Amino acid sequence: MSENPQTADGTPTDGTTTDGTTTDGTSAAAEAVVEVEAPPEEVTAELAEDMHIATGTREPILVSSGVTMQFGGLRALSDVNLSLHEGEIIGLIGPNGAGKTTFFNCLTGLYTPTSGQVTLRGRAMPQDPARVTEAGVARTFQNIRLFPSMTATENVLVGRHVRMKQGPISSLLHGPRFRRSEAEAAERAEKLLAFVGLTRFSDELARNLPYGDQRRLEIARALATDPSVLLLDEPTAGMNAQETEATRQLIFAIRDLGVSVVVIEHDTKFIFTLCDRVLVLVQGELLVEGSPDEVRGDPRVVEAYLGAPPEEVSAQLQTGGAADGAGTAEGKSE
Amino acid sequence: MTTTATPETPATPAARPRHTGRFARLLDAAAPRSTVLMIVGGVLTLVGAYLPWVTFVLNEGPYPEKATLNFFVDPFGVTGFRLHLVILGLAAIVVAALRRIPARHRIVRGLGIGATVVALINGLWITVEGGGLGAITASEGTIAFGSIVALVGGLVTVLGASAGGLERKPVWTWTLPWWVEWILLVVLFVIVLLLVAAVLTSGGQGGVVNPYAGVVFLSLLAALGGAFAALNASGLLTWVSAVSERHRTFSVIVLLIVALLLPLTSAGTEYWMTVASNIGVYAATAIGLNIVVGLAGLLDLGYVAFLGIGAFVAANLSGAAASQIGIHLPFVLVMIISSVVAGMFGAIVGSPTLRVRGDYLAIVTLAFGEIFVRSAQNNIGGLTGGANAIPNIPAVGVGDFKFSDSVVIGSLRLPSGVLYYFLIVLLVAAVMLVFAHLKNSRLGRAWIAIREDEDAASAMGIRTGPIKILAFLIGAMLAGLAGAFFAHKTAVVAYDSFRFLESVTLLAAVILGGMGTIPGAVLGASILFVLPEKLREFSDYRLLLFGLALVLIMRFRPQGIVPDRHRKAELTDPDVEDVAKEGPGPLPTRVEP
Repeated sequence: MSENPQTADGTPTDGTTTDGTTTDGTSAAAEAVVEVEAPPEEVTAELAEDMHIATGTREPILVSSGVTMQFGGLRALSDVNLSLHEGEIIGLIGPNGAGKTTFFNCLTGLYTPTSGQVTLRGRAMPQDPARVTEAGVARTFQNIRLFPSMTATENVLVGRHVRMKQGPISSLLHGPRFRRSEAEAAERAEKLLAFVGLTRFSDELARNLPYGDQRRLEIARALATDPSVLLLDEPTAGMNAQETEATRQLIFAIRDLGVSVVVIEHDTKFIFTLCDRVLVLVQGELLVEGSPDEVRGDPRVVEAYLGAPPEEVSAQLQTGGAADGAGTAEGKSE
Repeated sequence: MTTTATPETPATPAARPRHTGRFARLLDAAAPRSTVLMIVGGVLTLVGAYLPWVTFVLNEGPYPEKATLNFFVDPFGVTGFRLHLVILGLAAIVVAALRRIPARHRIVRGLGIGATVVALINGLWITVEGGGLGAITASEGTIAFGSIVALVGGLVTVLGASAGGLERKPVWTWTLPWWVEWILLVVLFVIVLLLVAAVLTSGGQGGVVNPYAGVVFLSLLAALGGAFAALNASGLLTWVSAVSERHRTFSVIVLLIVALLLPLTSAGTEYWMTVASNIGVYAATAIGLNIVVGLAGLLDLGYVAFLGIGAFVAANLSGAAASQIGIHLPFVLVMIISSVVAGMFGAIVGSPTLRVRGDYLAIVTLAFGEIFVRSAQNNIGGLTGGANAIPNIPAVGVGDFKFSDSVVIGSLRLPSGVLYYFLIVLLVAAVMLVFAHLKNSRLGRAWIAIREDEDAASAMGIRTGPIKILAFLIGAMLAGLAGAFFAHKTAVVAYDSFRFLESVTLLAAVILGGMGTIPGAVLGASILFVLPEKLREFSDYRLLLFGLALVLIMRFRPQGIVPDRHRKAELTDPDVEDVAKEGPGPLPTRVEP
């Protein structure tokens, strides 16, 4: 598994202890249940060098302030604030219909917020998905949206589109500069596929890939745009315990590339063991924000998820929080 | 030299696959005797070929020449479709008898389908022409069951082959010394050239005086389709294409030279050169349309308008008496201007793609096509000549030398129009190059990504609007180029060459040939624009036949004749894969693994 020595500690909410426990608990659980291949280290190192993302500063990269989204009479988001720091993994949880995906769409320019502002490195976020990607925010989709009749490599090459400079004339002439840029793109695609562990499928059509691998390919495609922020919309939906664990390792490795990550997920255990900070969105409002432990213990979160909290459930959740490793392992064996 | 063939399914009755589907019981019953059935089918096909086919001499002359009762005068002199049946039947018998040939059943099935369709086409034609079943059975004391026996023979062959269980296509991995492969490729390409010439000229020029043209042409296509399916089933075709892929540049050069040699074959007359040039015009246009439809996935129902715009621009700049602009520019310049003007209109038509998608875009393009035709018909701005067209467009030439002249080199006399043919071959080659280069570039990938999922494409940073307009623009420019050539070649440009039907035919050519591929567009354009030449006698039924053929192809080979690597994988059902191109498919069978 990928080394995860330095925790992202630029944020006010997470303490070293919390993070340490979380990661250790994870690896223990993973080794106990399944063998999971993490991205090979040398590939990660090479990619990090190619992508040049980390700037070493601890400045917030992606900031949303007071984002409100109104659809007719329905207020899908009201006054949502978020600040994502470099090298951080933030989790966004909430019941169905809480506005998580709407929030993502506001972040990626698919929707224009009714009020409020999204900034990337201090600049206002453009209101066009293509420009958002160009600015360095990539995303995956809740229901996988690969290019089904293209091969895995071609899917990743499409992700390179925005960083390649060939125009129509150079595409027509296939000159030396064209060939060089194609070769570079192909090399990067190869590395990215190795990074997510799909080298063996590089010439396979995306539609023929197993479900879990399609999700990984979508991540590779998003990484091909050299993002500084990666937004993952339910990356483990429909995955079994082993695939979920592999995804967790992959996200850690992505963080190690210098990419900051925001994850939407229903699987709270996954979120609590992955993220540095967790935001709970309920009915379009930010209910709780804090470290995984803080959020897990918060009675309001339990209430939001389960309605009025019966004593038992609440207690169980509390103990689950304390005996972290056991709880995770149990969850996995389901 | 190594050979890898996938092992054949054991022929023991115990291991025989059980069939499912509608004809399961029939196939199961036939399974133990599949080899016998295949041989019997082949023999019946042979017998059918040698029996008389028609009970009387048709009005326009005997059909086929020796198939009437005077057959016995010359028993072994079979020609035409009966020769094809003899070859298909003999091949089926030989392959069926040689148990060691891999994918034997699949090969025989291809041959059987070919024989069935040949018998069906000719039998139907004689029936229609002869005024009823009497023409192919018995009438006034004469008996002619040839077509029925051949049809039964073909069907029995297909039944036997399908019942025996269809094997996987074997994969051959021979590598020969490079010079042997070069020679092989040259020989194969020359054979292809001769076949193309034979298909093109088969049946001769269609028309009232020659009602046989269409049916002879279709019958030859069916026979070739069967042979092609059999070759494909044997895996040899895949091997040959792998070899030509290994020597890519060489293959392209040889193919170009071979194409330029067409005037030296039986097709080297003025008429066939004109037909071939027209095919070239439509092939180039179809490749342009393939960018819009095949790559970017934008349905364009008014595409022929760009060909028209190119043609009218060229006509007006050609110095023709009827043209509004009385200047005569060099042909190369005219081509460039035509192409640019067509491209501008392409960008205009493409601009609604920023807002409308799918069906709505198709309606917009349909409307544009109509607007163009109506404007041209009404001679708006005096640029199109309206119903009078723009006639007498001067031929391309330098000084006294005209492209429409015939060429005499020593004792070799090439027909007039041959220079235009050379020109269009080069033009089509250039258009192919443009298509291939764009497809394998950042731009081509962006187009395909938009076709696959536009929202995901824009989330990957592709600015979908400009890129879609670029597809329209480049596609229209290619059509404009072809239009400029068309104007000079035909010397007359009239609005009625660019009606909705032509757009549909172009679209059908792209879909029929295989979306997103070059050979597909060329093949589709060739078939669809040769057919009307051949089927002049049947012009009333032309659209009917055309529609029927499209329905059948979409049912049995939805990925087109030459499928794109990707679409093939997407649409191929392993059992439907090798069905011949024409006519009804085989009995649907499904072999369990």
